[in-house]
This record gives sequence, C-alpha cells and structure tokens, in this order.
Amino acid sequence: MKVISTLVGTGLRGTGLAAGCVLGLIAGSQALAQDYPSKDLDWTIAFGPGGGNDIMARTLIDIIQKYDLYGQDIRAENRAGGSGAVGWGYVYSKAGSGYDITTTSGSLITTPLQADTPWKASDFVPLALLATDDLAIMVSGNSEWDTIEEFIESAKEKPPTLAGTGTVNVDFIVPTLFAEKAGFEFEYVSFNSMADMQTALLSGAVDAMVGNPGEIVGLVESGDMKALIYSGETTPPALGDVPTMDEKGWGVGVSMPRGLILAPDAPQEAVDFWRATVEKIVETPEWDKYIETNLLTENIKYGDDFATFLKNAQDGFEKVLRAQGAIK
Amino acid sequence: MDVFADLWMGLSVAISPINLVYLLIGAMVGMIVGVIPGFGPSAGLAILLPVTFGMDPIGAVMMLAAIYYGAMYGGTITSILLNTPGESATVASTFDGYPLAQKGRAGPALVMQAVASFTGGTVGVILITVLAPAFSHVARNFGPPEYFLLALLGMLTLIVMIGENWKLGVLSALIGFALGTVGVDLETGQSRYTFGSAELIGGIHFIPIAIGLFGLGELYFAFYQGLHRIGSGSIAQYDRKKGFWPDMADWVDTKFTLVRGSILGFVVGVIPGAGATIASLMAYSFERSFSKRPKNFGKGEMAGLVAPEAANNAASSGAMIPLLTLGIPGSASTAVLLAAFLLWGMRPGPLFMTQNPEFAWGLIASMYLGNMALLALNIFAIPLFVQIIRVPYRILAPIVLVICTLGTFSVSSSMIEVYLMFTAGIVGFFMRLYGFSPAALVLGLVLGPLAEEALRQTLTISRGSFWIFLERNGSIGIIVTTAVLLLVLPLMQRIGRRAGALKQATVSEVEDAGV
Repeated sequence: MKVISTLVGTGLRGTGLAAGCVLGLIAGSQALAQDYPSKDLDWTIAFGPGGGNDIMARTLIDIIQKYDLYGQDIRAENRAGGSGAVGWGYVYSKAGSGYDITTTSGSLITTPLQADTPWKASDFVPLALLATDDLAIMVSGNSEWDTIEEFIESAKEKPPTLAGTGTVNVDFIVPTLFAEKAGFEFEYVSFNSMADMQTALLSGAVDAMVGNPGEIVGLVESGDMKALIYSGETTPPALGDVPTMDEKGWGVGVSMPRGLILAPDAPQEAVDFWRATVEKIVETPEWDKYIETNLLTENIKYGDDFATFLKNAQDGFEKVLRAQGAIK
Repeated sequence: MDVFADLWMGLSVAISPINLVYLLIGAMVGMIVGVIPGFGPSAGLAILLPVTFGMDPIGAVMMLAAIYYGAMYGGTITSILLNTPGESATVASTFDGYPLAQKGRAGPALVMQAVASFTGGTVGVILITVLAPAFSHVARNFGPPEYFLLALLGMLTLIVMIGENWKLGVLSALIGFALGTVGVDLETGQSRYTFGSAELIGGIHFIPIAIGLFGLGELYFAFYQGLHRIGSGSIAQYDRKKGFWPDMADWVDTKFTLVRGSILGFVVGVIPGAGATIASLMAYSFERSFSKRPKNFGKGEMAGLVAPEAANNAASSGAMIPLLTLGIPGSASTAVLLAAFLLWGMRPGPLFMTQNPEFAWGLIASMYLGNMALLALNIFAIPLFVQIIRVPYRILAPIVLVICTLGTFSVSSSMIEVYLMFTAGIVGFFMRLYGFSPAALVLGLVLGPLAEEALRQTLTISRGSFWIFLERNGSIGIIVTTAVLLLVLPLMQRIGRRAGALKQATVSEVEDAGV
C-alpha cells in the first residue's frame, strides 16, 4: 500500500491532472483506513508569516504535534503571493493527494473573483470550518452615538461615512448587507490598512469603521472607541455589552471562514482521518486559548456544512460586488 | 522624573545576560537582512517570528526590534558600495553615498553612515522616552486629508531630485505615477492593468523597481563602460591606511545635518504610514536646500549621505510611538511586531504601556543598548565590507545579480517581481544613458498611490468639497509648515550661498594644509 501511494504521488507530479484523479480514486478505494497517514504532510500557508492565516496554521500544527495526532512529520511552508493565489494554486495542482492541506481565509473566495485563478473555493475538499473572523461596527469614544439604534436613526437622516479595509473584502460586504437589512445608507471609505483606518476614526475624519475585535480591543478598553454591533454569533466579552446583528434581526450570514481544506479529489481515507483529528483538536485547551486570545468566534462545521457555508459566503460576496461594479 | 524611573526599570529588565544575547543576535540578523538587497526588515522579522514561539516575550521583542532597526544600518552598505539599496529606506543613501565610494572615500562614507545611523537611532529613542505620550497625539490627528497634504509635501522633494534636465525629470516622475496606478483600485475594487494576474492585484511594489533601476541599472552601465575588462579595484580607488577614517571637514560639515536629519526623521516616522523611506527622501532634499554647496549634491557630498541615514534610523524609532501608545503600526515592519504582540497574548492599545510597563520600557531601554551594539558592529565590519570593491568587477557583478534576484524573489516568492526587477534594470540603464531621473521615478511610484488614495478618501468624506483641508487642525498645521518652508528655505539658501562663497576660499586653504 505504501508503494501505491508513493506511486500516486510521483505520478501526479509527472503526469496531468486527469490521470492523477483517476489514480487517486483507485488508490482511495483500495487503501485501508489505517494506511493514512503514511507520509509527511505538506501544509501550505498561502500567506506570509505573522498574519492571521499563518498564526492559525502554526497553532494547529503545534497542537497536532503536541498530542501526536498525525504520526508523521509535518512540513509547514509559507507559499505567499497574489492574495493567496500562489499557495492555493499550489495545493490545487496537487489534486488527488491526501497529503496537501491548507488553511482558508476570506481570500479563498475573493481572489478568484478578482483574478483569473485556475481554481475556485468549491474545487477543494472541505474538511472543517473551525472559526470565523467577525466584525464590529465601531465609533469614536467621544461620538454622540452610544447604541446601534441611535446610529441607524441618525444615518437615516444623513448617511454617515464608514471606513473599512479594501472593497473586495468582508469589511465592505458585511456593512453593506447589514445596512440593506436595517434600512439605512452610508458612504464607504476604503483604506489600505487597519492602521490608517484607526487614525482616521480617532482624528474624526470618518464617522464609523468596521474592524476585527482582536485589532481594536485595546482601543475599546481605553475608551477611545465604542463598539455598536457585532456580526458574529456571540460578542466577545472584551468588547462590552454589545448586541449581535442576529439578535437584532439584521443578520448578514457572511464572515471570514477560518477552516481546513485538502487538495481537490483527496482520497476518502484522508478526509475521514482529518475529520476525526479536527474533533480532537477542538477539544484541547490550547485551541480554546487560541480562540480566546485572537477573539475569534468558534464555529465548527464539517464537510458538506462547511461547503454550504463557503457557498453562502461566496454568493453574498458576488451579489454585493456585482452591484458595486467591482467585478463583472 | 517618572520617565527616568521607568527607563531605569526597563534597563534592569533588558540587561540580563540571556536578553543581551538575543539583542546581539537580533542586531546581527538585522545587519545581514539589511545588506541583502530586496530583503527588507519586514521580511526578516516575519521569517524569524515563528522562532519566538515559546520564548520569553521581553527577550523576543528585544531581538525582533533589533532586527528592525539593525536593518537600517546594514541597508546603506550596499547603497554606498554598489549603488544598490539594501532596502527601501536607503534609496536616498545611494545619491551621494555611491559617488563618495567612486571618489575613493568608501571608508569615510561607511564610518559616517554608521555614526549617522547611531545618532538618528539614539536621538529617536531619547525622543520616545521623553515625548511618547505627547507624540501619540500627532498620530491621532492624522486622517486622509493630512496624508494627502503630506504626500504633496513629499512631492516637493521631486523638485530637488529632478536635477538639471527638468523635462526628462518630470517625465521620469510621471512614469512612476503611471506604474503606481497598477493594482486593485482601492475605492471601487476594480482591477487596473492587472491583466488577470493575481500577482499584480496588490500593485507594483517599489522594492524590485528600486533594485532594478539603481542596482542593475548601475551594473549594466558599468558593463557598457567596459569596467569588466579592467582588473581589480577599478570601481573605486581605496587606500586603507590613508582613507579609512573621515577627516575633520566631514565632521564639521555634518554636525548640524545629523541633528536636522534625526529630528525630521523622527517626526515623519511618528506619522503612521509615512515611514522611513519618505523620511529619508525628505531629509535629503531639505539638506540640499540648507546646504552651502547644493551643486555638489549627487556628486559625493557627505551631508547628502548623513541626512537620509540619520533620518531613516530616527524614523524607525519614531514608528514605535504609534505602535506602543495606540497599538497602531506605522509600517510593514511594525505591523509584524504588532502581530508578535498579539501572538504573545498582549493587547496593544492606549493602555499598553501602563499595563505592560516592564515589557514596554524593557524594549525602549534595549534600543539604547542595541544602537550602541550596532555602531560597534558596523565599525568593526567596515574593513571587511570595503573589501567588496576590491573584487574584480567581472566576478563581483554576477554575484550582485544573483543576490538581487534571490532577494527580490524571496520577499513574496513572485516571479513577476523578478521580471519587473530585470525590466527596471534595463530601463534604469537607458535612463542613466539619456539623463532621466530614476530617483524621481521611484518617488512617483511611492507617493503617487498614497496621494491618490488619500485624496479620494478625503473627497468621499467631504462629499467633494476641498474646504475640508481648512477645517481640520492637522491639515492647517501642515499647510502652514509647507508655506513657511517654501518661503524660508529659498531665502536661507540664498543667504547660505553668499556665506558659502565667502567661506569657500578659507575651506580650500584648510584642505590644502590638512592633506
């Protein structure tokens, strides 16, 4: 069996995709569950070190190694470039392999919408969604608005300016869908980085902004900013007593997916193995600590549920971006 | 006196033997990262970040911060010796650093850059220590209108950089602006000139362009001149015994330059997003305006090297202020440091320094020590580095080519950036041949997108009204400063020149007598 899987591996690198898929299917159906894993794992991180995607991947690898959940070596490689196109393109080229895994972010959906990538999110084998990065609508600490209702009321009179990072991004999609449901309009001001956006809000240039709790919690604790509403399922306690969009009946159902995917047409034994492994990972105290320090929302969905989640997010993105004219 | 109690406490934390080892490792890695063209401090930091998992945060941050400011020391070495900026903030150092090396003054140039870097770094840390709370308000007043005005102020430096042939200079800057339009349009999200390539979504980075224009352009030009056929030591004559230490004139001429460069660099560095690159370019052109011999700039004037060097180091210290006092990173490198803080379970923000005094003050205290270590490292390493220019050009050139290529590729593993670098090299060669200004092109590429984005943000916020520039205190402050500079500088220049003309005679007498 070991020989076969090695052959599949080399065959894939040498020959084309179609042949690889067929071989992969044969190998998958023949192999016994306990044969996986028999090789080193190639873990692609599609972004540079230090970013949210990298931190999550390395945390997962630390947990897997600490509890010896994989049994073979794991090689983590940062294959950064082109907003994830390089790294995920690499994993895509490994179709049929059960040993090529990667972590997702919002770019898995947005990059194919923006550029001619050969792959799209639905090409990969979805293993599990682990958490979502959600957004809070923030105003300056000395702002006249204390609640989201006051904000919306005044927004109906005079549309406020709201800052976010980039346009082809959850930062634009989430408030747009939210405003549609809550019935107000706003002027979106797109920024290149979180830093420019925060100073713009603190300097009084914009009325509000959206941001990840992890990046703004320090400014909330010091009273320089106030959170009005949160897009995730439960508001992190550090943000204070802030309602969620769902609670108010204005849920948007789009957030940045932090999950695990395998190369296209990965064999079933690999999928089964990883499902069981993820179940163990999310029970560890280290995982709880990761969710807590990064202020993420734990949101675990396996296999098809994860695929549906990605599909919904993708539809939301496409709809808003098409209306905006950002994509054709 | 609180500040000194805090600093003393920080010093006692920083000075443990193991932390000092981390600091030295960081300083050395920083030097090396700085020397390799293309491989900037942010890439170096990012790659070493995973190593700090499980390290004591204070030792780890001392090491990472030392990489960050150490790169500013190392980056100049190749600027001076090979006309290839080691990283973006040392582009301005090529303008006079390389001509100095060509004149056989590589030794003094390297020593002066180490001294300037040390002065800039140390003035920066002193200002952090004393002024951190006050300067956090500067960062707090910067919204899009202020960024736009700042970019305009930066463009004034174009006037200085364009040089004698203004038509070609303006054309060069326009090419830079044009290249700056590539990438996703920030406001509408539409792709501009990306031709479906995912690698161009983020736009054209200016590091491969700068390496190509300056480094490779110089390389091709040297071949064009036939340097490869001549033996060793041909790029620059260098005499170890006579020409290593700077002479009195170098020190006397640049004593105020050091101070001006440091203060300007620090102030620009405090503003998030402006950073060391803009600080060094601005310092260069201001220094030229102040100079008694502006005509010598670009031909090997020591002040033209010292000003940007002091500025880029002071700016890298200044960028720590928004990071420590607001949790807002001012540059790509401080963004990686911010990620590290989060990774170690800290919460950057306005309360950061009060909640983690040992960590924050340990870091600040370590920067004093780090700058001293880097000065010593530099002075010792200079005789080694100077040997580079004794290597025959036919051997040196291929090595430089390979290092530039590797450095550029390693930053974002993008072949497109490598192609861009080579194309920029060919363009740079022809620009040199026909008298265009590569510096103006690079400045256009840096400032163009900044100005465009800030202006569009500003006008979205003001709903199309330009009065917003007169409604905000920050904007008014910048406008007033610019006006004063525009009025006062030419005046000072005129007075300076008149005084310079008088002095010129005496200076040349001194030089004759001294040598």
